[in-house]
Amino acid sequence: MSSVRVQGLTKRFGNHAAVFEVSFDVPTGGTIALLGPSGCGKTTILRCLAGLETPDFGVIDIDGEPVFDHAKGIDLAPERRGLGIVFQSYAVWPHMTVAENVAFPLKVRGMGAAERKDRAARMLELVGLKGFEDRSATLVSGGQQQRIALARALVHEPRLVLFDEALSNLDTRLRQQMRMELRMLQERLGFTAVYVTHDQAEAFGLADTVILMNNGAIEITGPSREVFLHPRSAFAARFFGMNVLEGRLLESQSDPRYLEAELSPRLIVRGVAAPEQDLQPNGRVLACIRKDAVHVFRPERPEDATGTIVAASFLGAEEEYLVEVAGVRIQTIGAAVGLQKGDAVCVTMAADEWVFVR
Amino acid sequence: MSGQGEWAQKRLPAAGVAVGVILIAGPFLATVVRSLLVWRDDSPHLSLGNFANLFGDARFVSAATNTLVAGVCTTFFSLILGFSLAFLVCRTDMPGRRWLETANLVPFFLSPYVGAISWIYLLAPHGGLLPALVRTHLGISLEWLNIYSVPGVIFVLTLFYTPYVYLFVTPPLREMDASFEDAARVHGASFWYTTRHITLPLVMPAMLSAGLIVFVTSAGLFDVPLALAAPRGIRFMPTEIFAMVQYPSDLGKAAAFGMVVLTVTVMLTLWQRKFLAGRRFDTITGKGYRPRTIKLRLPTKIAALTLEAIYVGGGVVLPLFVLLLVSFSKLWTGRFLWRTATTGNYEYILTKYDLTRTAIANSLFLAVTGATIGVGLAVLQGYYLTRGNPKRRALMETLLSLPLGIPGIILGLGFLIMALHTPLYSTLTIILIAYIARFQPFATRNVTAMFMAINPELEQSARASGATWKQTMRHIVLPLLKPSLIASWLMLFVIFIRELGATILLYAQGTETISVAMVVLSERSSGYVAALAVVQLILLLVAFIAFQITRTPISQRST
Repeated sequence: MSSVRVQGLTKRFGNHAAVFEVSFDVPTGGTIALLGPSGCGKTTILRCLAGLETPDFGVIDIDGEPVFDHAKGIDLAPERRGLGIVFQSYAVWPHMTVAENVAFPLKVRGMGAAERKDRAARMLELVGLKGFEDRSATLVSGGQQQRIALARALVHEPRLVLFDEALSNLDTRLRQQMRMELRMLQERLGFTAVYVTHDQAEAFGLADTVILMNNGAIEITGPSREVFLHPRSAFAARFFGMNVLEGRLLESQSDPRYLEAELSPRLIVRGVAAPEQDLQPNGRVLACIRKDAVHVFRPERPEDATGTIVAASFLGAEEEYLVEVAGVRIQTIGAAVGLQKGDAVCVTMAADEWVFVR
Repeated sequence: MSGQGEWAQKRLPAAGVAVGVILIAGPFLATVVRSLLVWRDDSPHLSLGNFANLFGDARFVSAATNTLVAGVCTTFFSLILGFSLAFLVCRTDMPGRRWLETANLVPFFLSPYVGAISWIYLLAPHGGLLPALVRTHLGISLEWLNIYSVPGVIFVLTLFYTPYVYLFVTPPLREMDASFEDAARVHGASFWYTTRHITLPLVMPAMLSAGLIVFVTSAGLFDVPLALAAPRGIRFMPTEIFAMVQYPSDLGKAAAFGMVVLTVTVMLTLWQRKFLAGRRFDTITGKGYRPRTIKLRLPTKIAALTLEAIYVGGGVVLPLFVLLLVSFSKLWTGRFLWRTATTGNYEYILTKYDLTRTAIANSLFLAVTGATIGVGLAVLQGYYLTRGNPKRRALMETLLSLPLGIPGIILGLGFLIMALHTPLYSTLTIILIAYIARFQPFATRNVTAMFMAINPELEQSARASGATWKQTMRHIVLPLLKPSLIASWLMLFVIFIRELGATILLYAQGTETISVAMVVLSERSSGYVAALAVVQLILLLVAFIAFQITRTPISQRST
């Protein structure tokens, strides 16, 4: 059974359709990430799920119960949808203690003070904030506020929990730690989770299914691994940080397993077509390759060099290069080997790493 | 599927706004209509006769000229004084600046009418404390220093309007990102060059909007011309309108005058809003370091303290001192004599005299009720202006802020015309309504600012947690608004306790307020007036102290 079913969701702000005819399902206990650049409509979808925005068209079911149905005039108030939500700002109420914040969903449901206290304490223990109950909620660190917001979103055992860029305000190290903890907590408690994020690592790390959004519509949906490894559009390839190079698809193929594309008169690459592409021989094609699938190294003999380093930037464990091969500029990323601008290098690209899209 | 909660969420804030709009539209329309009506053969006719009548009157020309001259001069002097004081307090190491920071604000809380009569006691040609002292001890005559004059009005107005500038200029001076000035210094500008070419231009928007508010409100103030100009027949706009309503009254002409004033103030207010719209928060980034403090050398330090002594002395210490002397004197002649000192004035006004006892009770009733209703409305209006229908918000905000520039006497006139033949006429209720109409927008502005500082996600997560709109208001919004609700309540209380301009046309026997009682008594005994002024001052100071205690610094507020 699906926990969340969204059909034909459309939301306009003035003349601009922030979300246009979006449909997707999340199974009970499933995790889904709405991924995309800012302004792609992912937060609007989340706010529609929560009842904080009223969509213009469409249907939203939660646990088989319609919470929004434009045609039937159903629009449940946020408090009647039985959800939990974690905002990017955490939205921890500054005038309450940590325990009061966490116990709030229980309080508005009319639970007695003793039981409230007990459940809030258990939830705080679960998120690693045991002993923080009576602290003022504003006098704790950002990471701890994040945990308070999380505990508050889970304390009333909601069927669905929404996360709006929930980890974006944390520093990198804390974000990685929180991502792991959140994943474990989700598996343990089994709630359905919808994450909104612009960070691909967060989306892949937290969710089984990823929906990549582009300009108010769904670009790709699928299991995390598949979405990342097999981008089906230039937008997706660019969003995941791949090289996207324009070329022409060649007519004759020397190897039936691969297609060939000419990126410049002296550079022909082999690759596979992404699913559901209508590629015409001799037609324009976009050839995509991940930066880490391009390797550069110093040639043993200078005459073996096939490319030149145009720019190099040292990132710590890794190094990023812009390399020119036969008149085409390609970005690479890999272990720091200390190449300099102007160095002549060998460039290798595995054939099955190239993906062709229209 | 709309539940009751959603109904409340949509209707209540809109109702609050509707009340505000009616409160401003009612007197405005009444004034417009009345200004165009002329009675002939006992029946009203539409005519421009009132305007012709007004513009042909030499008294109108003299009143308008005096009002404009006094307004411009007051604005000019207040800007200089306010900026200087704010700069000294915020940016220098002047000794005692922490204490003076509060002292500079005290005149803001005092009654300008009481200030004006205090300066009469201090400086009247006959019976003034200062001329008498100087004559006795230095042998110099100060009789050329006539407080009953246009310069006298400007002097007292400047004392009372300087804190407005001070309040406007302090935040940008204090919170301006230090890097603006540091960048200038690093790139080779001297301190004075930086102040002139970086600091002052950055503070200019605040100065200009403060200047406009000072001009509009000081020119419309009834209190000071009533005390200092009317006794010598010097005409000012507010006193002239007051005179037109007195027997033999010419309401049509007064309404025409009101229209002229309304047109000017509404235009200035709208212009100021437009001007301010693009410039908000220009200088305050919320990040970076606080600007540096300037170390004063000894001569500058002495000069700075002298300026402070003159301002705090003239605006607070001397008026309070002379009021106490007069209130304990049997008969005020410019000298305080211990052997005739008496508490009789206080006994009389507090226990024996019906007028003053009623007035004190009325003022307290108006202030407490008015402040409570005003803050309640402010919450609803603030909610609407920050969370309501986005298409109508801007228009409503402009409409609701209009009364801030309208002189109390003009609004009082509008309500007088409206209430004239209704049961509301000569009741406390009509005074209460006028007070709320004129001053409640201050509270709305405060509360709206606080609403804007509250992240809507704080409310949204409450709703998502299962709280209804009403529960969210009760448990989340109102507690978060509390500091600004208390501040707004106290501010309205202070304003209502000392209000005179809007009351003077609306009071009747039995609905006098403290300020009205002072005006009525001013022709009888200065002792009673001074004692009543001291009683009023005590009420104001209690509110001021409460304000200082409950005021949370912005830095400690959470958002």
